[in-house]
Amino acid sequence: MEEKPHTSIQYERELQEIKENIIYMGALVEQVIERGIRALLKRDSQLARQVIAEDDQIDKLDVEIEGKCIKLLALRQPAAIDLRFITTAIKINGHLERIGDMAVNIAEKVLILNEEPQLKPYIDIPRMAEIARGMIKESLDAFVTENVDLANKVRREDEIVDNLNDQIFRELLTFMMEDHRNIHRAMIISQVSKNIERISDHAKGIADMVVYMITGKSVRHESFTEEETS
Amino acid sequence: MKKRLLFKIVTGYLAIVLLTVSVMGYLTAAHLKNGLTERTEGELTAFGRMMSLMSLADIQKNALSLARASHSRITLIDGTGKVVLDTDRDAVDLDNHFNRPEVREARIKGQGSSIRYSQTLRTDMIYFALALRDGDKIKGYIRLAKPLVELQAAAAKLYKMIFQTILIVLIPSMLIALVFFFRIVTPIREIEEYTRKVRENDKQAMLMIDSDDEIGSLSRNINYMVQFQQEKINQLREEKGKLEATFASMMEGIMVLNAEHKIEAFNNSMLNMIGVGFPDIIGKTPIETLRSAPLQDALDYFLETGEPVTKEISIGVDNRVILEVSISAISGLPGDERKIMMVFHDVTRLRKLERIRADFVANVTHELKTPLTAIIGFVETLQEVAMNEKQTAEQFLKKIGENAYRLNRLVNDLLILSNLETGEEKLELRNIQVGDVLKDVLPVIEGASGAKGIIIHHEIPSDLPPISADREKVIQVFLNVLDNAVKFTDSGRVSITASVVNKGCVTVNIADTGIGIPYSDIPRLGERFYRVDKTRSREPGGTGLGLSIVKHLMNAHRGRMKIESVLGGGTTVSLDFPISD
Repeated sequence: MEEKPHTSIQYERELQEIKENIIYMGALVEQVIERGIRALLKRDSQLARQVIAEDDQIDKLDVEIEGKCIKLLALRQPAAIDLRFITTAIKINGHLERIGDMAVNIAEKVLILNEEPQLKPYIDIPRMAEIARGMIKESLDAFVTENVDLANKVRREDEIVDNLNDQIFRELLTFMMEDHRNIHRAMIISQVSKNIERISDHAKGIADMVVYMITGKSVRHESFTEEETS
Repeated sequence: MKKRLLFKIVTGYLAIVLLTVSVMGYLTAAHLKNGLTERTEGELTAFGRMMSLMSLADIQKNALSLARASHSRITLIDGTGKVVLDTDRDAVDLDNHFNRPEVREARIKGQGSSIRYSQTLRTDMIYFALALRDGDKIKGYIRLAKPLVELQAAAAKLYKMIFQTILIVLIPSMLIALVFFFRIVTPIREIEEYTRKVRENDKQAMLMIDSDDEIGSLSRNINYMVQFQQEKINQLREEKGKLEATFASMMEGIMVLNAEHKIEAFNNSMLNMIGVGFPDIIGKTPIETLRSAPLQDALDYFLETGEPVTKEISIGVDNRVILEVSISAISGLPGDERKIMMVFHDVTRLRKLERIRADFVANVTHELKTPLTAIIGFVETLQEVAMNEKQTAEQFLKKIGENAYRLNRLVNDLLILSNLETGEEKLELRNIQVGDVLKDVLPVIEGASGAKGIIIHHEIPSDLPPISADREKVIQVFLNVLDNAVKFTDSGRVSITASVVNKGCVTVNIADTGIGIPYSDIPRLGERFYRVDKTRSREPGGTGLGLSIVKHLMNAHRGRMKIESVLGGGTTVSLDFPISD
């Protein structure tokens, strides 16, 4: 059955609106992560509290976008690329919402850490956060421009963040063994590091979905080495 | 096109020639035929009348000779139509002539004529009949007949002439047609060629057709039109170029959105300001390209209310860009199109300067207050209790002195900086050797370095060209930098080297193996009171103005200070001094 031009334009507009909402949410998420990390590095409790407050907006957007996607699925019965776009949108939406939560977790840890003097100068954590934030940005760039290469680049970067997380943990372990009074702070820093590592996992998840959206191929549980040799 | 036009012209000419000749021929033939017929009829009438004067018997007797004399056939018919005599045929063979047209006419009018085709002679015949009267009664008729052979011969001759005329006229007229064709078609083809080239944008000088007729004036009009259009196009192109150049070279970033709120145009400043991750942003929405939620909020507000919006947004991480964006509608577009203009103004530097100023005020009050608080505290304690305890009092006085000296140093440094900034501090430029200056500086710093066990290594080539500088100021620069190097190095060494790297200046490198500086802090080191590690308390003796003074002194010397550092791996300060002429 052929659709009337009017409905088709309306449909296009609805798809574009979902896309823009997701990017808007992505922009908010990038912002809260950047602020969360800045709050950690500058020991800025006020900024940390701001991050926690901003998560409400992300949560609201999460519900709103999901609602729009489901409405579109029900009313338009999309097929092929549109269907993949909407399922991808739902998934990316979920990932972004979780990333927002991670930023809140980090901000909460900052508030705890600021009650005590700094354990050590942060060297690897800012690097790791920078990579993770870049991954979110690039995965959304890939989503906007439908660029598979960029999405694959993001998927590769996840490993760097994983390695940094391990390295930070080992370093913190030495601090804990040195002095038992360090254990509390070291544990919390370790949790911050773990949260950043989870953020990069979600960014990889977004990139996986972008690849799926463009190629129609699910790459979620493939590791890169397998894929490249096959 | 050539063939069709040729065909049209030639057939036209042919038609005109054929039509003219045939109409003329037809008219001539008709006229000739009438004349001849009338003449023959007249002859027959005259002869018939003459014969009617003769007696019937004479006529019958002399019929043959009469016929011969008149070149005609004579028939005598009685009152009932019965043929009595015929000069050509036997009268017995002929049927009743009572109803022949000429006889009938003669019966009524006295005489009659008729032209008929004769089956026997196979030619047109003219018949003339005359009634012979006896009183009122018609006793018989004389009929004369003559073939119209003469007429036929004349007609044949005429047709032949017409045909000949056609043949003779045809060839010259065809030639004239061809000449005419080429005279008209050649310029038309030129015009056609020219206009085609103009249409295909193949630049042509001008149409050169020298003619006074309509084609000449057509070609002049075309020339004028093309020239006029070319001028208009050039004018528009020039105007567009001007606008585009203005658009491209504007400091402000500009983004134009179409009715669907997608990016339609932007300038280079825009791209430089935001540093988009992908180049092709035309047709995308601002949120897709800039990824800025506050910008989208501003745009949404504008779309909702239609009021122009001005908002400050920041983009990027640490190295953030602060942009002031103004969103407004573009009005006066053809077709009532609704476009949106976004103008971005980079206020990063402005905001940074504001922050530095605010920081400075906060810092300077803090720095001045700390020693003052100490002094006031000690003085109050002395006044209340400690005066009587000589030992404590001495200790307190010593502290008060230390803080007072520190205040003094701070105020002195601030004065130096302020003089440098206002340009009141005059430099006494002389040609000096870097090595000589260092000889005076090193003993001062060696006290502090020796206490920490830091080796100061220096390697100054003796053939270094002299620099043009104020000796006292250079000593201050070296003292400040070396003081920092020793202060932030717990163990290891500080090495001083000098060389001519860039033409025209001597570069002195002071490298330490100290704690280093985070990359992101390096650009801010020249700021007054800027501290890398804010948690650490001020080192005794430092005012927080050292590097700021160095930076200003180097600028005053038209030199440069550059700092490279690896966190945990040491810092290198490079000082470029201009060589004296």
